[in-house]
Amino acid sequence: MKDASDDCKIGYEEFSDEISTLVDAFPPPFIYINDATSPRLTAAAVAAVLKDIHDKEPGGLRRVHYAMVNAVACFTTRLLYDSTLNALTRWSANWADGCANWGLEDDTQRFNENFDGFIHGLRAISAYLCSQGKGKGKGKQKAQTDEEDVRLVIVIERAERLKETLPDILVPLTRLAELTQLDLSVIFISEVRWEDMRPSLGASPDPYFIDIPPPTKEIIVRRVTSEFPISDDPRPSPYHPSLAGLYSHFVTVLCDVCFPFIHDTQEIAYIAAARWPGFVQPVLDDYRRAIQTRRDEMDLDDEDDDPEPPFASPSEDVRMRLSRLFNTSLNMALEELYPRLTNASDWASRNKPEPDLFSKQPAHFARATEQSAKRVDDGTQALPRMSKFILVAAFLASTNPAKSDLRMFGRGLDEKKRKRRSRKTMKSGQAKVPQRLLGPLAFPLDRLLAILGALLEENDAETRLPAPEYTIPGEYTDVETSRVGIYSAIMELAAMRLLHRTSPGDRIDGPPSFKCGISYDVALALARQLAIPLNDLLWDPA
Amino acid sequence: MTVPNLDDPNQAVFCIPFAGKTDEEEEDSHVPLPRSIHRERDLLDGEKLRIDAYMEAWSKCLDRVKSLIYALHAPIAADIVQEVSTSYDSVLSGLPYPELPVISVTNPTSASTFLDQVTAHTNSSELDNEELFDTTAFTTHLYPTDCVNLTSAMKAMIGGFVARSHILQEVKGRPATSLVNYDIEMLLAWYTAVRDTYDIKDACKPKLVVLLHDFEQLDPLVIQDVFSICSLYVSRLPLVFILALSSPASPSYLHTTYPRSTIALLRVRNYNVPSGAQLLEELVQKTFFDPEFEPDVVIGPSVLTFIKDYHDRHDSSLDAMIKILHLAHLKHFSAEPLTLLVNTTPSADILLERSAFPFIDALFTRLQASGERHDTSSNASGWSEQTLPTLIASVNNARGSFRARARRLRTGFGILKLVQKFMEQQGYKGLGWNLPGGAGILDVMNDVLLGKIGQDVKFLGTMVKKLRGAQLGALLEILHTYFNSLPSRIRSSEEEARTKLVFSINALPHETVDDTSGIASQVAASFGEWLVEYLNGVLAPLEDATLWDIWYTGLSPFPADLINPSVRASIVAGLLEPHKFAEASDEEDNERTSLALWELPDTSILFRRYLDSGKMINLYDWFESFQLELETQRKALKQRLVQRTSGSHSPTKRGRKGKAKAAEEADEEDDLDKWKLEVQARFMRAMQELDYLGFIKHTGRKADHVQRVVYDIHD
Repeated sequence: MKDASDDCKIGYEEFSDEISTLVDAFPPPFIYINDATSPRLTAAAVAAVLKDIHDKEPGGLRRVHYAMVNAVACFTTRLLYDSTLNALTRWSANWADGCANWGLEDDTQRFNENFDGFIHGLRAISAYLCSQGKGKGKGKQKAQTDEEDVRLVIVIERAERLKETLPDILVPLTRLAELTQLDLSVIFISEVRWEDMRPSLGASPDPYFIDIPPPTKEIIVRRVTSEFPISDDPRPSPYHPSLAGLYSHFVTVLCDVCFPFIHDTQEIAYIAAARWPGFVQPVLDDYRRAIQTRRDEMDLDDEDDDPEPPFASPSEDVRMRLSRLFNTSLNMALEELYPRLTNASDWASRNKPEPDLFSKQPAHFARATEQSAKRVDDGTQALPRMSKFILVAAFLASTNPAKSDLRMFGRGLDEKKRKRRSRKTMKSGQAKVPQRLLGPLAFPLDRLLAILGALLEENDAETRLPAPEYTIPGEYTDVETSRVGIYSAIMELAAMRLLHRTSPGDRIDGPPSFKCGISYDVALALARQLAIPLNDLLWDPA
Repeated sequence: MTVPNLDDPNQAVFCIPFAGKTDEEEEDSHVPLPRSIHRERDLLDGEKLRIDAYMEAWSKCLDRVKSLIYALHAPIAADIVQEVSTSYDSVLSGLPYPELPVISVTNPTSASTFLDQVTAHTNSSELDNEELFDTTAFTTHLYPTDCVNLTSAMKAMIGGFVARSHILQEVKGRPATSLVNYDIEMLLAWYTAVRDTYDIKDACKPKLVVLLHDFEQLDPLVIQDVFSICSLYVSRLPLVFILALSSPASPSYLHTTYPRSTIALLRVRNYNVPSGAQLLEELVQKTFFDPEFEPDVVIGPSVLTFIKDYHDRHDSSLDAMIKILHLAHLKHFSAEPLTLLVNTTPSADILLERSAFPFIDALFTRLQASGERHDTSSNASGWSEQTLPTLIASVNNARGSFRARARRLRTGFGILKLVQKFMEQQGYKGLGWNLPGGAGILDVMNDVLLGKIGQDVKFLGTMVKKLRGAQLGALLEILHTYFNSLPSRIRSSEEEARTKLVFSINALPHETVDDTSGIASQVAASFGEWLVEYLNGVLAPLEDATLWDIWYTGLSPFPADLINPSVRASIVAGLLEPHKFAEASDEEDNERTSLALWELPDTSILFRRYLDSGKMINLYDWFESFQLELETQRKALKQRLVQRTSGSHSPTKRGRKGKAKAAEEADEEDDLDKWKLEVQARFMRAMQELDYLGFIKHTGRKADHVQRVVYDIHD
């Protein structure tokens, strides 16, 4: 059985050697590890290396204490100080003591007040760990360790966040060894390069750089394969030990499909986790059926207590058949799971193969893809009719230039001429990126209401309740667009972030301005529900 | 109170404190219901009686609607509670890292009530120690106001759990050397302590549920970090997030707003709360057309139409529907004095009072009018023969018969629906209610109430007549069970119909026997005929009942402008006819429909002149015209004053002549100056008001000119 920490180091062999040598020997005060693809795994590898070193008995080597903190979780200085100091001493807060931090018993000094306190804290910890080491040494009758025998390593994950959250202490952190005068090393792990977060004016010393290259396909396969969660249960299950061979084959195929798009091991492992139970299902079904028929036969023949045949690794032929059956679904899994349109367990249960797949034709996977196309319509159906109109109007206002409104929505005598001309002039002009691709423009509320009025007059007049009191053409629409319901619908849509308010909420001078928050597809779906010819109303239809 | 010295040139701003009554003082004299338009024939304390009746009727209706909504939400709420409790149980093995369970609840219609329903199951704030062993979850709530930044969001979240002193005593340490209260380590320490104290096993760890209200309004940057911090601790703290979304399920807000890296940390499961037209139809149907429930006031077709239209068009939330029903009830009880008779008739003592005479008169007129229809021989002096007890009795009778009528209507509607459903099940189109383009069930209800359903009933009867023997048997069986399931009160009144049913069932030849004799078709024909007749009798319009308008809102229009007024139209109307909006005073002198221009408030005068102008308005011209009108006003007021005072004594000023003449001239000059100043001030104020209302655009293109923005007012 492999050690769990070895799993973390797959693909990191050279790197872990380097780190462990550095930490063991004489570490540079500031190390910067840059991994653009999978910083999480790198951090795990670093943690594994440090744990190995830490767990070694303090023989001739120096005893190393380390702390791993996450810069996202430590969003204030106090959190950073507290968690670093507590992690170095392996201190866990206890509710009964009022969640006290680590501290010297007789001392009431605060270590989390400011950077100065933090430095004092680090020094106190160094002395404390030293004395503990001594105490242990005395107890075990070993050679006394020196006062400076403690080495502290502070690892900060997602260090790029420090630049936003704690820009003030970025420089002192990089110079921590210098400031504390201790044997101390700070390691930053980040997915951005040091150049992008380096403080100005050269205030920080240059770190010792370690760059982690993106993993190769082989490494990903090895990593994912090594994480196969072998179950101890002897009964056949998707995680039975004898399926490990098939799993590695499965992972290889999966990597072939995914590698062009993803280099992150964890993402591929995620997809593998979702697909694997379905993938082996036919094998398990086969086995179960074999057992069943065998039992039936035995019942007929005699009551001999024959042991059941062990659940063996499937043959090459079975492998080939499985690959053929499931290869199309791997692409589908990638498309749905990588953007997390659904989660792995739901996907796995939804895409469960039908039982006894081996006896059927591989045609059933085509269905699921067709279902997803209809979803846009379903979700927006719940909106009230006016909100739909407002969204379409907002989309038009955000996409069409304001100057074109009169041409697009104006209802003069020569309306048709105007419209047609507008298209042609655009085509003859120089090539321009359509606004739809550039993102929405902001528009004032008045313009939205004006376009809304035009849309309502054209497309909504028939569905309204009869109101004989409005006699002048357009009067009913005019009343409709200035109703309180419209304004509250706009505010509600802004609260749902289907409209984005671009002017500050506390400004009462002038009309508020908005931006459209829906995509072209959604706008098109809405327009279809309302029977609005959206493409005819776009200034620049693609 | 000191009067500010307005002439002080050193002051740029004067504060003139409001000297009227404060709102609380005015509270004493509040009027619960708007005054009835038929005030003259109201009882002395009719308002109170009506509000009591209204309270009773409305709370009955509201309770029904609420319980229906609760029942409709119950299954999905139970699903969510189940999901919360099993969120850490069936985790797919082989995942690269533990995911944070997130339940997103898409609920566009009734956010708060539904969440309350969920938290009622997941929250344990009211449990005592004994029950803690069984709790499945602790719940804390995060609101957009809590989450202005990461620190406050984390503090609110952790504090929400930790501050439950009934679960675990809070221990005060030294805050300076302890964990800070937004450190998730603190939550961890608390949770470990809870588990140790109550000795909770791993298998039934209570979940820590965080409910994020109005999720769209939370700052994505903050929540992103909250998620990533929590996901670091997910193996030690069983956190479950519930996101309350009000935006539609697709395009998914979560996916369009949050980066992939954040969503990758979560395991999102989406739940949709039922909403939409179907839900509305079911609610209305079960409130007003369910034989088992008897509303005090039957809602008429115009309100139903408005509910449907408002739901489809403006606001599909259930709260809006409740609001409309509420308003319909309020209007019903505030318009007609007779509505105090909805549930009870006042005792004879009250009706004997002198002030009650107009009320009784009106009531009697109504009763007699309806009586005349049946009994033409009533004489003019009949009224004097009537005694109060008989009047009360006949009102009670009318109530009883109306209720019975309404009950029969509801029963009939139920039968109509059953027959139609049966036809659809048999593969026939029937009346085509549910087909695209067909009438929705709300329209059918309207038709039933309006008495326009006769054609449909006839059609259904024809279809029933053509049914085959087996089909007819099945239909009769369905109808029989329907009658048996009715409340006993209705069942007993429909004895005749049940007898007919049983008779028809018995008359049908047994299925095994070949139907050659044509008995089945005979039975079908007779049953179909009977059904048409029966339904037509049962579905008679409610307006035919005596005193129907007490219990039925009928065709009286719904005051749509109260719920969804047109802002511009209201403001313009308010400026043009301010007196219509002012609270009606007790004096009856507002009867005049149109007032002279000078009688209007300054802003209205200015607005009238505004409407007369062109696109650009010259301020000076505007002022001049305003001044002119004010002059008229001044003269008219003076004249009025003179008219009033002339009777008592002659004006003092006229008496003094001669020597005081010089002083008077000076006085007049002084007055004139003051008047000019006043006119200017009033002009400025009125103009500012119009400006504030948004009627003026300052373009700066032309000196001393402003632009008009409202045109085409048709008054």
